[in-house]
Amino acid sequence: MSSDTDPTTNGDHSRSGAAVSPGAVPGRTPLLEIDDLRVGVKGDNVAYDIVRGVSLSLYDNEILAVVGESGCGKSLTALSVLALHQSPPLHITGGSIRYRGVDLTTMSNEQMRALRGAEISMIFQDPMSALDPMFTVGSLLTSAVRAHRKVSKDQARTAALEALADAGIEDPRRRFDEYPFQLSGGVSQRVMIALALVNDPSVIIADEPTTALDVTVQAQILERLRLLKEERKMGIMLITHNLGVVAAVADRTAVMYLGEVVETGSAEDVLAAPHHPYTNGLLAAVPRLNSKVTDLKPVMGRVPQPQEITEGCAFRDRCERALERCATDQPLLVSHQRTAVRCHNPVD
Amino acid sequence: MTAIVKRVVLTLVLLFASSFAVFAALRLSGGDVTAARLPASATAADRELFLQQVGLDQPIVRQYITYLGNMFRGDLGNSLTNNASISSLAVEKMRNSLILGAAALVLVFAIGIPLGLLAALRRNSWLDTGITSFSVAGMAIPNFWLALILIYIFAIQLQVLPAAGQGGWRYLVLPSVVLAAEGVALTVRMTRSAVLDTMGNDFVRTLRAAGLSNRRIYLKHVLRNSLLPIISLAGLRVGQIVGYALVVEVIFGWPGVGQTLVNAVLRRDYPVVQFFALVLVVVVTLGNLAASIGYTLVNPRLRK
Repeated sequence: MSSDTDPTTNGDHSRSGAAVSPGAVPGRTPLLEIDDLRVGVKGDNVAYDIVRGVSLSLYDNEILAVVGESGCGKSLTALSVLALHQSPPLHITGGSIRYRGVDLTTMSNEQMRALRGAEISMIFQDPMSALDPMFTVGSLLTSAVRAHRKVSKDQARTAALEALADAGIEDPRRRFDEYPFQLSGGVSQRVMIALALVNDPSVIIADEPTTALDVTVQAQILERLRLLKEERKMGIMLITHNLGVVAAVADRTAVMYLGEVVETGSAEDVLAAPHHPYTNGLLAAVPRLNSKVTDLKPVMGRVPQPQEITEGCAFRDRCERALERCATDQPLLVSHQRTAVRCHNPVD
Repeated sequence: MTAIVKRVVLTLVLLFASSFAVFAALRLSGGDVTAARLPASATAADRELFLQQVGLDQPIVRQYITYLGNMFRGDLGNSLTNNASISSLAVEKMRNSLILGAAALVLVFAIGIPLGLLAALRRNSWLDTGITSFSVAGMAIPNFWLALILIYIFAIQLQVLPAAGQGGWRYLVLPSVVLAAEGVALTVRMTRSAVLDTMGNDFVRTLRAAGLSNRRIYLKHVLRNSLLPIISLAGLRVGQIVGYALVVEVIFGWPGVGQTLVNAVLRRDYPVVQFFALVLVVVVTLGNLAASIGYTLVNPRLRK
C-alpha cells in the first residue's frame, strides 16, 4: 500500500486482504495481475486518486471486459499497465501490476519500452487519429518490428504483411503502401490491430476499440479479437462502456465505478444476475427490442468527482438500496453467489 | 495541375504589378535625378536635355512600356550615375547577395529547428527557459543594433572577425548571423510550439505503445509532423532575409543587391533601382513558391 495516500481518500483499508483476491480464477496463473492499483493526480497543491485500489487478473485464452461509464478509471487502469498515462500529473501511487510474475511498476524506461508491443500491446479508441499521418502503414509496421528485432527490411516487410492479413485486411500488399488518410475507420482499426499483433505479444489491451466505428464494423472488429483469442490463446483486456460488447465477446467481466471494481465474475453471470445495485442499474438502462422507451430506467444522480469522495460506499448517493452503514463503512469486494460484489446490500 | 498553372499565372501578374509599382513610385516620389550626374553648375537647359536623352520627359505609362520592351530584348539599361550597363554589374551583385542570403537561411533552419525541438522536449526546464528568452531577445533586438554590438565585440575587442568587406568565409560570419537572428528566433518559437502540439497527438501514444524508442518517436515522427508549419512559413523567412539584407549589406559593406539598391535609391538612379527591386520581388516570390512546393512534397495528403 502506498504510504503517502491523500486525506481525501479513505486511507488504508486493506481491501484485498484475502489470499485469493475475489475475481481471480482459482487454480490458474494469470498472465497479467493488477493488484490494489492506485493511480492519482499528484501536483503541488492537489493529490487524489482516480483509480482507487483496482485488482484484476487476466488469463491466457480469455477476453476480460472492463466496463464502466466515462471517468470511472477504466482507461487509466489500462494505460498505466504500459506506463502510458500522462505523467505528470498522473502517477501510480500504490499497488502492483505483474506480468508473468514481474512487477511492471518498478521497471526502467528501457525495460518498459522493450515490453511494449512485444509482450503487451495496446489498441486505442480513435484509429483515425491514432496513426501517424505522415507515414505509410508499411513504414509504421516495419518500424514496430525493427524496434524489437534485428531483422532485415525484407523480413520486417514479411512480418508486417502477415500481421495485416491476421488483422483481417483483404489486400495487405496494397494497404502496405497507403497512408492513414486513405483508409476507412474500420481498416484503420485493423491496421491498429496489425500493429498490436506484429511482434506476437501474449496480451492485448484494447481501450474502447469499437467506440468510434460503425455498428457493422464494430461487430467485425470484435469477431477478429475473439478469433485472435482462440487461435493464439491470447489474453485480451477489453475496455468498454458498452454492455452489448461485453455480452458479445467477453468471457469474464469487471464492472468499475469511480475508480473501484464493484462487481466481477463470468460475463454470463454478471449480465444474467447482477448483484451490485450499480450493475443492476446499468442493465436496466439498456434499451431492448421488446421494451418501450418509457420502461428504461436511467441510473439516477451524477457521478461525484474523485476529489469529493468521502468514506463509505462511493455509490451510496445514487443507490436505492443504501443502508445506514453504507455512509460509514467501505464495502469490500466479496464473493456473493456466483460473482464478487462490493456492496453491503447486494441485489439477489 | 491546374493549381500549378494558377500559381504561375498569379506569379506573372504579381511580377508585372510590382515592377509597375516600383517604376511609378520612383517617379512620383520626387527628387532631382540630374544632381548625381550633372555638375552643380549645369543650367536648367542642360538638365532638360539630359532628361530628354534618357527618356524621362515622357509620360510615365509610355516610359514603362519602353522599359518593358527593352527588358524583354535583354537590355536592362544603363546607370544614370555612371552610365555603366546594369547587366554587367547584375551578376556579381546577385552572386554576392545569394551567398549571404543562403548562409543566413541555412542558419535560420540549422539553428532554429534543433533549438526549438530541444526546448519542447525539455519544456519548463532551465534549458527551455534559456532558449525561449534567447529567442525573445532575438526578436526584440533591432538587427542594425545587433550588428554594431557584434562588430564591437568580435572585430574591435576580440579582433577575431573582420568588421566589414568581402573576402573569405570570415567576412561572411557577422553579416549572416545578423541577417539570420530574427528568423532563428521566430523559427525556435514556431518549432517549439509545433513540436508540443504534435506531441499531444494520439499517434504519439500509439508509437510509444508499439515499443518505439523516444529518440525515434521524436526525431522521426514528431519532427516530421512539426515541419509542416515551419515549411509553410519558410517563404516568409526568405522575404524577411531579403528585406533585412538592405540594412545589413550597407552596415557590413557587403557588395550585394541590397547595398547597390540603397545607393541607387539615394542617387535617384531609376534604372538601377528598377532592376534590383525587381530582383528582390522575384526572389521573394520564388521563395514562397519553393515553400509551397516543399509543403506539398512533405505532406502525403497533397502528394498523392
